[in-house]
Amino acid sequence: MTAPTDPTRLTAPTAPTARTRRTGAITRRRARTAAWSLLALALLVLLTGVALGTGQVSISAWDALRALFGQGEPGNVLVVQQFRAPRVVSALIAGAGLAMAGSMLQRLFRNPLAAPDTIGITGGASFGAVLMLATGASQQLIPLAAVGGGLLAAMLLGGFAWRSKMAVTRLVLVGLAVQQGLAAAVNLMIVRFPAELASSAMQWTTGSLYGRNWTEVWIGGTAIALTAAALLLCQRRVAVLDLGDDSAGGLGLNPARDRLWLLLLTITLASLAAALTGPVAFVALAVPHLVRLLAGPPTLGTLGLTALTGAVLLLSADLLVLHVIPVHGLPVGAVTATLGAPWLLVLMIRQGRLPQRSS
Amino acid sequence: MTSTTDVNRLAAHSLGLRYGDRTILEGLDLELPGGAVTAIVGPNACGKSTLLRGLVRLLDPAAGTVTLDGADIHRMPARTLAKRMGLLPQQPVTPEAVTVEALVRLGRYPHQRMLSPWSKADQAAVEEALTRTGTAELRDRQVDRLSGGQRQRVWIALALAQETDLLLLDEPTTFLDLRHQLDVLDLVADLHAEAGRTVVMVLHDLGQAARYADHLVVLKDGRLAAAGPPTEVLTAELVESVFGVPCRVVPDPETGTPLVVPRARTRAAAAAPASASATAPASAAASASVPA
Repeated sequence: MTAPTDPTRLTAPTAPTARTRRTGAITRRRARTAAWSLLALALLVLLTGVALGTGQVSISAWDALRALFGQGEPGNVLVVQQFRAPRVVSALIAGAGLAMAGSMLQRLFRNPLAAPDTIGITGGASFGAVLMLATGASQQLIPLAAVGGGLLAAMLLGGFAWRSKMAVTRLVLVGLAVQQGLAAAVNLMIVRFPAELASSAMQWTTGSLYGRNWTEVWIGGTAIALTAAALLLCQRRVAVLDLGDDSAGGLGLNPARDRLWLLLLTITLASLAAALTGPVAFVALAVPHLVRLLAGPPTLGTLGLTALTGAVLLLSADLLVLHVIPVHGLPVGAVTATLGAPWLLVLMIRQGRLPQRSS
Repeated sequence: MTSTTDVNRLAAHSLGLRYGDRTILEGLDLELPGGAVTAIVGPNACGKSTLLRGLVRLLDPAAGTVTLDGADIHRMPARTLAKRMGLLPQQPVTPEAVTVEALVRLGRYPHQRMLSPWSKADQAAVEEALTRTGTAELRDRQVDRLSGGQRQRVWIALALAQETDLLLLDEPTTFLDLRHQLDVLDLVADLHAEAGRTVVMVLHDLGQAARYADHLVVLKDGRLAAAGPPTEVLTAELVESVFGVPCRVVPDPETGTPLVVPRARTRAAAAAPASASATAPASAAASASVPA
């Protein structure tokens, strides 16, 4: 070329530098993610032990964990395996699923306020579940109905908001309307239920973990694990989509199609989690932000940390409900919602202040 | 100037491109030389960015085809195409808090399989891309905290890590000051000269296009106005008919390439050509007659 070359500018050297430093930012962030994950895992095991051991029959955390795997006193094994474990395991699975779903939604919509409970997905899932309950169908069908309801909510949201290009604030406003509308429908159905069904249906109004059983845990847990695994396998794709549709297209993706599939997987995950607990608020919204503060921007590793943190958070909230707050029968969703409301406000205020990044 | 080659030839055949109902380009026949630097120029809204989007398959043709070395790009698997062509979009999205190296690594996406671990070849390509763009020392910095010029070089590094024969850039200099515009264009020239990349870029500045490109494509209102080497294409008549700007074309004192010098026009002549005679005398010496 004939262009004059600025001598101060780096002309392309022939070979990459020989010494590649392995303590770069990527490595440091990975180490930090791993450290936090280990901590979260330790906390998760500890809290699981405590949760399994606490109740009318007190068992030490260690004995409770052993009893979970059938070791130790038969009495403890019975109490832990039959009465306490389904609830604890439900909290862990649902917390992990909700947090992962929240993180994915925030990335796919590029909206820090997106979460299954701010855009109507958990409301839809509850609606589907309650509808199924009203028909008197078998319990195994509830997760399926929840996924159907979640997809229905997503279609409503899409219908209302998609044409307006999903503006950041509008998405959440429309989503909250969808969530409230579906919650109203759930309430309406429940007040018309016969008395014996009404109590079990209460879970679907605020989110609660009472009366979980192993059948629900196995079905829900397997489906959640499969969906989460599929999402984890797609993480490179998600990272490329983060660069915007043009860059993603240039790197060989079909952005519209890939985004839709990932969205469907995410909605399925959130709905399955909601099928276990009802529309528990806050976990999905808050955990991704917390993880970002602790470990940096989202990667495959931080998604794992997000799942662990979600599990720990929901289990902690349930421990509070069961053993600390002296109100009998308080649903866990009430606690998470109490924590969630101010958090949502803080996020909205912060977002109002932040200038929108264009490039 | 390097001689053009028989590979990496992008071509459009009776290409029509549309956004919804709005036709942007129609009946475009075009062959871009392989192994060369091509600049696409034209007035605002002439469809130059749209053409680039059509050439990299971001936009499906409403009519006609786009071929790469004779093969229809819309019949190629997306990944195969992404290994041949890299793109720097006009406004890529920088993920929050992502580091330079992490961003550039994403350029390896078309070369990776779902479960394949990060390979030595991947790292080598990233190192090469960082070094060539002079961003190696920025690798641990957050991209959203870099200056515009640095950020643009990082995005070019991402496209380089993709290891494609062709590199397409959509207005790579638009938001940069002069110094950084030249940095980016020099970098592109180096990539062509030293790394053998075939470059296609949309540019705004005719002088820069003439300096840095071997081949010019001039568009007007969605149609091809002219194509060829800058010295042949860039004439005063063409610039006036395409941009509506009377001008002289003189050799660039630095490079000898064509340089477009717009004719001076008085404010009165520009604002109200009919009454130009009243105020013209003072500047008549400087400006030749300005056709209304």
